[in-house]
Amino acid sequence: MAGLTLNHLYKRYDNSGKKKKIKNDFAVKDLNLVCEQGEFVALLGPSGCGKTTTLRMIAGLEEITDGEIYIGERLVNNLHPKDRNIGLAFEDYAMYPPLNVYGNVAFNLRAKGVDKAEIDRKVREIAPLMQIDDLLDKMPVKLSGGQKQRVNIARAIIREPELLLMDEPLSHLDGKARQAMRTEIKRLINKIKCTTVYVTHDQLEAMSLADKIAIINFGVLQQFGTPTEVYDDPANEFVASFIGEPPMNILETKIINKDGTFFFTFSESNLQIAVPKRYYDVVEDGFRCKMGVRPMDVLVGGEDSQGTPEEIATFENLGDERRIGIHVGDVLMMLITEDEKRYKRGDIIKLEVRGEKTHLFNIETGERIREN
Amino acid sequence: MARIELENIKKAFGKVQALDGVTFEVKDKEFFVLFGPAGAGKTTILNCIAGIAMPEEGVVKFDGEVMNLTDPAHRNVAMVFENYALYPQMTVYDNMASALRSKLYKTDEAEIKERIQRAAKIMKMENLLERLPSQLSNGQKQRVAMGRALVRTPNVFLMDEPLAHLDAKLRNSMRTELKEMQANLGTTCIYVTHDFMEAMALGDRIAIIKEGKIVQIGTSDEIYYMPCNEFTASLMGDPEINIIEAEISGSADEYTADIRVNGDTVTVPLPKDGAVYEKIDDMGLKRAHLGIRPQNVKYAFEPTDGYFKTTVYSYESIGNKSVIVAECGAYQIRMIAPNGLNVAIDSDVYIRLETDHAIFFDSETKKYIVRYDEATYVALAASEMEE
Repeated sequence: MAGLTLNHLYKRYDNSGKKKKIKNDFAVKDLNLVCEQGEFVALLGPSGCGKTTTLRMIAGLEEITDGEIYIGERLVNNLHPKDRNIGLAFEDYAMYPPLNVYGNVAFNLRAKGVDKAEIDRKVREIAPLMQIDDLLDKMPVKLSGGQKQRVNIARAIIREPELLLMDEPLSHLDGKARQAMRTEIKRLINKIKCTTVYVTHDQLEAMSLADKIAIINFGVLQQFGTPTEVYDDPANEFVASFIGEPPMNILETKIINKDGTFFFTFSESNLQIAVPKRYYDVVEDGFRCKMGVRPMDVLVGGEDSQGTPEEIATFENLGDERRIGIHVGDVLMMLITEDEKRYKRGDIIKLEVRGEKTHLFNIETGERIREN
Repeated sequence: MARIELENIKKAFGKVQALDGVTFEVKDKEFFVLFGPAGAGKTTILNCIAGIAMPEEGVVKFDGEVMNLTDPAHRNVAMVFENYALYPQMTVYDNMASALRSKLYKTDEAEIKERIQRAAKIMKMENLLERLPSQLSNGQKQRVAMGRALVRTPNVFLMDEPLAHLDAKLRNSMRTELKEMQANLGTTCIYVTHDFMEAMALGDRIAIIKEGKIVQIGTSDEIYYMPCNEFTASLMGDPEINIIEAEISGSADEYTADIRVNGDTVTVPLPKDGAVYEKIDDMGLKRAHLGIRPQNVKYAFEPTDGYFKTTVYSYESIGNKSVIVAECGAYQIRMIAPNGLNVAIDSDVYIRLETDHAIFFDSETKKYIVRYDEATYVALAASEMEE
């Protein structure tokens, strides 16, 4: 059963008052998305891509220009936010400062006129789940960022919403707290099994939390799939370069045919990489496109390697791993190695690229070129 | 270009002792990183060097000369801030020229032009010179802020988290460029960050700061492989190092470690290693904290010889790889796994600690005692220093 369905959703902000017409004036354009019941979906994209607008339309805080939103089987287009049965957890905690944690968590139920004993039972039930049981008497100002966010989420889920909406709930936290909180959110959602839409610009957060990721750019859905799908099988150059850290190496290439074998070649570089056989039907001698390969699929060859000798332009020792940069034309191609050797600038290594792991992209549109 | 020395710097803000006896020396042309959590006092150190903050005690020296009473303008330092601090009404060119046109430097326009063009080339922003800051992306703004520092020939660059506001992709590429740029210019650089990857990648040496005190100074390898205490160990590496309490038993022929896992005692081997065994003997070590990095924990989903059973607390991707967190009762163990495994939360997982990579910490003081293959890492760090 679908937990949430977006049908041809459009949002256009009225900028008739402005002199300059903005060319791409749809904040959200023809968005179609089906989240299954209990699924955790991340809306991911750079700032200004329309992900928060989408979330606000689902919540009913923003008018819809065109399209339909279903929560479960219910069309909610014309429903007031309070009647949509949703829980909201936003980036800023928006807690009531004069109320203690208990009061904040209980607030919505009190407003609805739920009886006192029932409220108490629910608060006591949810508190250990969110690990706020010993915070219930504290005032919001006394809480750390992570604690505030836990209270914030407790408040959203205590109403047992059909749909939980979260907008960058971790962006205020520093690195370590964020990591810990990510794990907690993941466990929690797994326990309560509530359909969740989670907005973030951090690909790592999306990758680690979500069952499925919707990647959005300029208001247009680029790809919708599991973290593994978007990582291993990106729909286009944007997705390929947005997912993964460090990002995928993407280089313009001209494919040449050498005695029946196709190679990627690059301007101002000796590097040649074998084109995977599966692409032989779609490429030809002189074919121009972009080649993408992830830094972990570029390797330093051993002594007797057949790889191309290349000069190291940058070397970074990051402790857990080491990163090497090689100039291919004017692009810095990155590779990751866990090998303990310390290189320095100017050292020559033999570069091997896992040709079978390369992706091809259209040079103009950035669309993925797939094998037939 | 200059050698920067700080001797016993103390600085308090009201009741808070922001800096509590900070001493270090930055060599000429060195890239020196101040690294620590928020509020550790990193920025205050930079401000003391720049002359923006006055220490209550201690001495700041440039090339051996005491600078305490020299005002900021005459210290000839170039600062780059996290929030760029560009003049919004001036073009990029004028922003870069602003310091050179000041009364203090009064450089002639031809010279200014030459220097700006050189800096613009290094920072790859020749095409941005006529733009206003409002027409720039964040990455471009940060380039301009750095370019503005580059047009001068300062004693030292002071950089305060210059990459913190950039998105991950840009941060990666700027980090790489920054190192290259500093190496080419050969100007001393003191760089503040709370990002361990920046610290590791950029610093010739890194100073770890905590609560206004220097905890450790060393090359990235020294700090990563031989952290002076558990605090430093926990800062370097993502996911964080596992710290596991262990009871050591056995004799000089063979030691083992007992650890608690969900109420049971599990005995793990401590393979023979000269330095480690010697330390255990000498100190009569009965109890220690073992630091084991997530990449040195192995897992299996079926009972396997030499593996002990725990349950999965979480499984999450961190980009090119994933982390399994295993529940062990009082603590958790993090380990690296590939992406895309089908791992259910609360399911069983069997793990093995590669104790032959362990770092030993004192269970009371949390200080470094010894590690496996210590001699190898000492040699590695020494070779780094020579360069």
